[in-house]
Amino acid sequence: MMGTDGQGSSWLGARIGWDAIRATLSAQRVARRNFSHFLGGITLLLFLLEVGSGVLVLLYYRPDVAQAHASLERIVGEVPYGDLIRNVHAWSSDLLVLSLVAHMFTVVVRGSFRSPRELSWWSGQALLVLCIGLAFTGAILPWSQEAYLQARVGSELARYVPFVGNWLHHFLRGGDEVTSSTLQHAFGFHVAALPAAVTALIFLHLFFVQRRAATTPRDDDAPTMPVYPDFLVRQAAAWTATFVVVMTLAIFAQRSVGVAADPRLPSVVGARPPWYFLAFHHVVRVAPRDLLGMDGARFLVAAMCGVGLAVVALPLLDRRGSRLTAYLAWIFLLACALLSAYALT
Amino acid sequence: MEGINTCATCHATLTDAKLRGPAKDYVTSAHRDERIGCVGCHKGDPRDPTVGAHARALGFIAHPAQSEVAGICGGCHADADFIRHVNARLPVGQYALYSLSLHGRLAAGGDERAPTCATCHGKHDVLPPASPKSPVNRANVHKLCGGCHSDAKRMSPYQIRTDQLSKWEKSVHGLAFKKGNPNAPTCNSCHGAHSATPPDASSVARACGRCHEEELALFEQSPHSKGFRRRGLAECVACHSNHDVAPASSLHVGVTPDAMCTKCHANDEKPMKVADTIAGLLRGARDRSAAARATLARARDAGLVVPGSSFALDQLSTAELKLRAVVHTLDPMRLEAPIASIDRAVAEAEKLVSDVETTRKTERRGYYVALTVAGLLFLSLLLKSLELDRRRRQGTP
Repeated sequence: MMGTDGQGSSWLGARIGWDAIRATLSAQRVARRNFSHFLGGITLLLFLLEVGSGVLVLLYYRPDVAQAHASLERIVGEVPYGDLIRNVHAWSSDLLVLSLVAHMFTVVVRGSFRSPRELSWWSGQALLVLCIGLAFTGAILPWSQEAYLQARVGSELARYVPFVGNWLHHFLRGGDEVTSSTLQHAFGFHVAALPAAVTALIFLHLFFVQRRAATTPRDDDAPTMPVYPDFLVRQAAAWTATFVVVMTLAIFAQRSVGVAADPRLPSVVGARPPWYFLAFHHVVRVAPRDLLGMDGARFLVAAMCGVGLAVVALPLLDRRGSRLTAYLAWIFLLACALLSAYALT
Repeated sequence: MEGINTCATCHATLTDAKLRGPAKDYVTSAHRDERIGCVGCHKGDPRDPTVGAHARALGFIAHPAQSEVAGICGGCHADADFIRHVNARLPVGQYALYSLSLHGRLAAGGDERAPTCATCHGKHDVLPPASPKSPVNRANVHKLCGGCHSDAKRMSPYQIRTDQLSKWEKSVHGLAFKKGNPNAPTCNSCHGAHSATPPDASSVARACGRCHEEELALFEQSPHSKGFRRRGLAECVACHSNHDVAPASSLHVGVTPDAMCTKCHANDEKPMKVADTIAGLLRGARDRSAAARATLARARDAGLVVPGSSFALDQLSTAELKLRAVVHTLDPMRLEAPIASIDRAVAEAEKLVSDVETTRKTERRGYYVALTVAGLLFLSLLLKSLELDRRRRQGTP
């Protein structure tokens, strides 16, 4: 595709102006860092895998309470490679949230959120919220007993959010109760509204990152490397490794489709939220009845919302990208991990 | 008189709870209808807002005697013309059936303990049987009947057993009922409701046969049918018992000491050879079915989705039901057809699993190749990046 000696280009290279692109990419330099530098790219690949596998699953999925679970069983059991595609979709979703959180965490620890990268940070925060929205709506679509409970419990917890709790509760359910409307709304958001918004935000995020590249405060003097070929070869290796991990999980670790939802059935014993909600769920579950004169659960959810707002406002609260923020991030991560582990016991 | 009911309005304001309660209960009862009113049972004059409404001359009955209750209820419920105007879906034969029942006969004989309409349906708070709160609702009938029939003290004058409810609760019927099976029989399914009578030896098969129609028809073709009748044995009950009906799978046909056949037959009798043959056929079919079910369960546990497995299991269960029914003929030859159906269902289930396993193996081989290619690509990219590093260190562009 491309000329390797810089003297000329292949047929395609001549038509896309490869020499100019290569010259630009070679002139641009990025900091030479460890694995964490590729988390953004890995997240992007996982999102693309989600879109690709999601489109294929969509060919057979039916967003109807009477048919949703049966259509998923058909996808997994009868459609050629349906189980692989569905597993890729389910595993990529978990890995996407994981890589997003890891990406955000490294940015906080490194202080890369500080001025002038506020817009990168905020667009990244919006992406995190939208991707969790994608995961939440996606978890409802199988319309299994677990999915039904998740829709009910998840939307019920939303009530505790200060000021907008009731509205959020109603919005997530698409009404007052978890019904066919909930599934219909979850489907619409999962396959159209949220992916469109995420795609637009990804472009915006990349634009902001590109405009303010390599202005990370604490490693300004770190060694650099050209984007092409050094960084891109590494990024391609990271993408390939991610792909291998996703495929290995999809092939060897089957994701359950559960049993069809039946609102008349009693709650599943030991039902748990997805791993990224475990800590949050556990805090609400063990909340005391009364805390500082307020309903315990409401107080704790309000406190967690406060922490969330502080995270969003981080570039304004910590203008230097201080080490204290990095330490707090480590403590927060450790607390979440411990709470999640405790919730599993 | 229609439309005016000063009884309820006046009694609702009384301070004595015993007098206020009935008015309160009435307004939520099935009898809340201006064509019935309090006067429907108590007589008197509901238009008179004074105690004059209670005049004995008007036929007022404050507390109907136990022996009067059925007649009062029957006054309306046996009146087809009245009932068709008030609730056309209601039957009208309850009073006649009750009068013929053991309960009705005892009550008519002056037995104050014998149940009458209000004992089961309630008094002022009578609810439609479809209401989950009604004591005669299907979900509550066993508690209602058991309330008296499990009471040893209450039943002692009649010298009847009091273990029916506890036995039924552990029976295949009681367990199915507890699981919510809408077809599981409860007390009145066999004994009737208003006609409550214990089925005797001659009629028990007809009680069972109302649901187990095929089994009864096949049983009547068996040598047991005539033999039981000759000896006055209750047909189904002789092997299955009545309230504590055990699952069919645990009724051992055969010659082992725990087998049901040994209750009547000695091991050296000719029928025991037949029993042994049937036991062998049943054992074989049961083992093959269990193996097929285990294969499907193993596939499911291994994360394999086997399309058609539910249908195959349904076919297997249907064939097993058919086999269990045909056992009533006691004819080993007639077991062959249902056993062949079981074997076909077993073969189908095993083929389904085998097909899915073969497909899984083929897919896995392809996946391994793809993963190896991806792994090699990763390695080559890694090597390329190391080479780039080396060239940078050496200053080569």
